[in-house]
Amino acid sequence: MKNSILKITVFLAFVYIATGCDYDNFDPPKSLLEGRVVYQGEPLGLRSEGVQLELWQPGYELFQKIPLHVDQDGTFSAALFDGDYKLTLIRGNGPWLDVTDSIDVQVRGGETLDVEVDPYYTLTTPQFTRNGGSLTANFEVNSVNPVRDVEMVAVYVGRTAILDVVRNEGNQEVPAGDLDLSSPVSINIDLPGSLSGRDVYVRVGVKTAGIQELVYSQVQHLQ
Amino acid sequence: MKRRYFILLIAIACNLPLTSCETDWLEREPPSILLDEQVWNDANLITGVLSNFYDRIPAHTSLTTGWTEFAAYDEAMWSGQSNQEGLNNIVSYPFDRWGLWNFELIRDINLSIKKLQEISALEESRKTQFISELRFIRAQIYFEHVKRMGGVPIITEELIYDFSGDPSGLQFPRNKEEEVYDFIATELDAIIPSIGNEGSKTRANRFTALALKSRAMLYAASLAKYNNQMGAPISLPGGEVGIPAARAEGYYNQSLDASLEIINEGGYALYQENPDLGENFYEALVSKNNNSEVIWAQDFLSSADKRHGFTYENIARSVREDNLGSSAIAPSLNLVEDFEYLDGSSGELRIRNADNTDYVYYDEVEDIFADKDARLYGTVVYPGANFKGQEIFMQAGVMVWNGSSYNVVESNGLATVHGDGGVLTAAAGPHRSIQEVSNTGFYLRKYVDNGPQTSTRGIRSEVWWVRFRLGEVYLNAAEAAFELGRTAEALQLVNVVRERAGFGPNSLTELTIQKIRNERRVELAFEDHLVWDYKRWRIAHTQWSGNNNNPNSVVYSLYPYRIVRPGDSRDGKYVFVKAVAPRFRAPRFFQLGNYYSLIGQDLIDANPKLVRNPFH
Repeated sequence: MKNSILKITVFLAFVYIATGCDYDNFDPPKSLLEGRVVYQGEPLGLRSEGVQLELWQPGYELFQKIPLHVDQDGTFSAALFDGDYKLTLIRGNGPWLDVTDSIDVQVRGGETLDVEVDPYYTLTTPQFTRNGGSLTANFEVNSVNPVRDVEMVAVYVGRTAILDVVRNEGNQEVPAGDLDLSSPVSINIDLPGSLSGRDVYVRVGVKTAGIQELVYSQVQHLQ
Repeated sequence: MKRRYFILLIAIACNLPLTSCETDWLEREPPSILLDEQVWNDANLITGVLSNFYDRIPAHTSLTTGWTEFAAYDEAMWSGQSNQEGLNNIVSYPFDRWGLWNFELIRDINLSIKKLQEISALEESRKTQFISELRFIRAQIYFEHVKRMGGVPIITEELIYDFSGDPSGLQFPRNKEEEVYDFIATELDAIIPSIGNEGSKTRANRFTALALKSRAMLYAASLAKYNNQMGAPISLPGGEVGIPAARAEGYYNQSLDASLEIINEGGYALYQENPDLGENFYEALVSKNNNSEVIWAQDFLSSADKRHGFTYENIARSVREDNLGSSAIAPSLNLVEDFEYLDGSSGELRIRNADNTDYVYYDEVEDIFADKDARLYGTVVYPGANFKGQEIFMQAGVMVWNGSSYNVVESNGLATVHGDGGVLTAAAGPHRSIQEVSNTGFYLRKYVDNGPQTSTRGIRSEVWWVRFRLGEVYLNAAEAAFELGRTAEALQLVNVVRERAGFGPNSLTELTIQKIRNERRVELAFEDHLVWDYKRWRIAHTQWSGNNNNPNSVVYSLYPYRIVRPGDSRDGKYVFVKAVAPRFRAPRFFQLGNYYSLIGQDLIDANPKLVRNPFH
């Protein structure tokens, strides 16, 4: 008897919890903001988890940013409520000149946005040639805004498509002093043993002095 | 009838309280609150207030506050209960790590200074002494802020809101980074004549103030020097972050002068009581018995029920006295190899033979650590070392010779026996996956209590937390002297510290900044220095670059194995295998935005005059 009262109580409590919070719920944000970080219409290759854009919704006394994490192919997306937002770029965060103006973003159901930035350097699409245990990358470094020096140029190889200065299984970093950046660059890398005989992913990057993040080429898959 | 008497009785009872008391009944002093006049006129109560402030001094890592963070760098990793496994998998340090904005405490101190000045009727010298001590604590707190946040607003008076609806009078912008360091220096200079407390190791005295000055000025100097040597210095246009390079020399001089004053006039001496140099270095931190080296400590006392569980959490597994806990902070092989050999050669352990074709075979498991810097023994418990009078024998498994190579045999338990009757996995591990046993092959010794029952939750430990000691002051002085080009002086200072560790006199004959940095790393391990040193030298982002290929970003382990090879001379000997610690997941990743911590948006909302730190 006691047992069944207990069961009924537990059941009622469960029903109460399951039904009780209907009224104060609201729908999750549905409008999708999608975009890319571009220079002259081309998305920039970046580091996964490296660059963050900020979305602010003014009009409230106290407010917190909505962080927009940019993927390694330069794209980003966020599910938002409809409204007027301001998008800002964090100073010194990405491999481009500081942008102090905010960008107005109106979200009404869905929105695509290209964020135009002014990078210090860009890379041409590299040509890779794999030769047994080594690999050669040929590409050019374009000085767009050479107000800061190049610190180094590098090739990264790995077995996954997420590839950057942090996540890689082999890299060849060449200090800028050892290269003539006005002419095409050729970097040779010996593949580590863990990658021999496998498909590899590769990309090249250029690091600007004093800026943490590099500009990369898009990841390429080599047989 | 009866009922009427009852009502009457109640009526009288109701009136009694209204009539029976003195006229000032409502004017009584509260029995549970101390009034300003009582507190600030009673030296004992003021001491109570001070002790509250001392206790609230922020720390990043100490024996009580944030002690788990010792396992968040490359000195050590987490080997304790698996609910803290995240310490082995910090993908990148968040920008708000190390954040501090403790203006509540600063306000409490400002208020206390004001009350002492205005209300207290104590004699003037007494008041000045208390105020000096309060100003010391405030300087220490500002130092804790500036090393994490860069410049913060310097507030030295109580701020009062006038309820006018306009709070802008309470909103102060950040001071420059150098202004905060200068504030610390001038405050300390001002109070040194009047702070008193001679001989105390727990309350600040003249030499405590000088020790803070020595450390703070050294930080300011190295920031001025090394920040400006970066490819692009980290700075803000208003100077809230970034100290001009020209100030480095002045700061180094201030630091050196403070250090030399302590060394020459303080009456302190490096602890040298125990002829066993390893034990001596261990005792230098934990011994409270006339310890000549400790300048300032946060003390604990069992009889006052002020004690901590650091020993319960970190004692070596095989000598734990509780049924849970132990082994949480497991020092890394990285740190162990930074301790040099006594002949001055680099500290890498000899694991493989010269041409890397075979292991090096040792008769006893501790032989590989022979002739190392004595501070290694005093800092970590390595396989075969003693703790609490027992040998902490460690063995991960056995290697069985199969005719052409070794088969590695490990067990999934501790204190297990191999088929040949010998030990398979020792009671102290190391083990790849079991929680609360070392994952690296090392246990922590520094600050772990060797007293009876201190690793139980019932008794706990009263080992003190050393905030300043002479060993650090020597190294501060050496670094400042070296940076100022006074190399001969620097050499002499470093060699004093090394001689205590078992190196002969004048063991170093030439000096580089790398040598000094390594000396700090091994002397001051687990004393809340590593991360701050790496930050001020601006090497944290290269040391902890988040890359698996960077040996400094990864925690390594060293596992001992017994050889099973009957009939061979190598049977029963020990070999060692170096590898990334099995429970360690993500390499340490420190980004440029970590050099100064995030100022939260809630703070900026409350005070729009605050500017954000770089990269945030």
